[in-house]
Amino acid sequence: MLRPTLNELLNGMQRTIIEALMPELTSPYAQGQAMSAVAMLAHAAAVLESAPAYDAAEIKDLRATFAALKRLGDKHISKKGGLRGALARAIRAGSKNPPDRRAMEESMAAFATAVALGNADDSVARQVRGYLRRNLERSRNLLGSSLPSA
Amino acid sequence: MPHAREHRVVGLKRISGGSSRETYAFDLEWNEGGETRTRPMIGRRDPTGGLLKSDREREFKVIDAMHRAGLKVPEPLFLELDASVMDRPFFIMHRAAGQTGMGAFPAAEAESTRAKVAEDFIGELARLQSLDYRECGLEILGAPKTLEEPARIQAAHWAEVYERDRMGEHYAILDAAFAWLKANPVVSDRIVIVHGDYRSGNYLYDENGIIAMLDWEMAHLGDPMEDLGWASMMFWGREEFAGGLMEREAFYRLYESKTGHRVDRERLFFYQVLGNAKMAVICLTGIRDFVERRTSDAVMPFLELLLPALLGDLATQLRLV
Repeated sequence: MLRPTLNELLNGMQRTIIEALMPELTSPYAQGQAMSAVAMLAHAAAVLESAPAYDAAEIKDLRATFAALKRLGDKHISKKGGLRGALARAIRAGSKNPPDRRAMEESMAAFATAVALGNADDSVARQVRGYLRRNLERSRNLLGSSLPSA
Repeated sequence: MPHAREHRVVGLKRISGGSSRETYAFDLEWNEGGETRTRPMIGRRDPTGGLLKSDREREFKVIDAMHRAGLKVPEPLFLELDASVMDRPFFIMHRAAGQTGMGAFPAAEAESTRAKVAEDFIGELARLQSLDYRECGLEILGAPKTLEEPARIQAAHWAEVYERDRMGEHYAILDAAFAWLKANPVVSDRIVIVHGDYRSGNYLYDENGIIAMLDWEMAHLGDPMEDLGWASMMFWGREEFAGGLMEREAFYRLYESKTGHRVDRERLFFYQVLGNAKMAVICLTGIRDFVERRTSDAVMPFLELLLPALLGDLATQLRLV
């Protein structure tokens, strides 16, 4: 393994900023920027470890959700909003190697839009809501639920 | 300052806040009639990139109009549009005293201070919405031609910014939100001056209440429910307190008593959905400018961390979860 690892490098850069750079900074603005950089390096180090699992879970869930939507059959998939085409594109995108995640997300946006506008039937809406709930949960686990509180 | 001589800039330092502009604090010293005078100042210079793309001349004129109308704003003093003077256009305002926060009014503050700030916060909004934009010389903001236009114009504007700044990504909940906003526009009851970022975190205050409302760069003409909806979004406040200031229903009742206008819940909801979508898009703009190297502000990548809360609120509002 090459050393330092990326994680060790990010942790080391935080120490460099805190121990070597910060004592030399006199401007409060520059100190604030330096502390923001430290916090972002810490965030990057944490995300670096969990991001591959997050990405894998997203792709797996998108594939599973579109497969479930396909199983519902055409009678449940409205022609409105181009949902049938979006589903076909999503299935194709998910079967590519590597999967085309952006194309699957574009199709999911079409389904979410149909649900928001009341253009999806209950069984479709249930699948889409289930995916969005899990997607939000994964995002919160990865990024947290920060608010701009004082 | 026709009789002033020997101007000196003293103690210039860059400060945080007002992320859409570079902001500097300094004291201006000058000689007038043999006496040395001094005044605290704030300079706001156009950024190389950042959260918003806005027009500094427009912002300066709005602050000037608000100052003349007697609202609590910093006194605007000089506007320089010639980029050759300091690389980019800038303007200078009086530096008001007081403190500010990042978002919700700090829970640790004294109850009496919180109550005074809450009263002033709604009071200033009521005064703003009572102004006639024509008498203020603010036709430059572009008056909507009909009462249907404000909702359509704002929804279309932020959808356009989303298309521009999403860097090819599709955020399913945001796509759905903009489609919903387009399909469900509301009709205003009147046209008022809208601050555009009226919230906790955008004012200076002390124990006597609000000293000055800040950050007028998104001001425009539109629906009075837009500022109320933005100010009372869950994003800016603790669960039950609008902006960390006051329980939400009490907040709306105080607005009704100060303005004499009822809170239209349908329009309020529309503008709270728009507000969450708009704030998410503002985050995407900051992220894009950081990624594409138009800004090196270390705060910009943190905007990503705000997205789960905003998208979660939108998903709840639109029954997407």
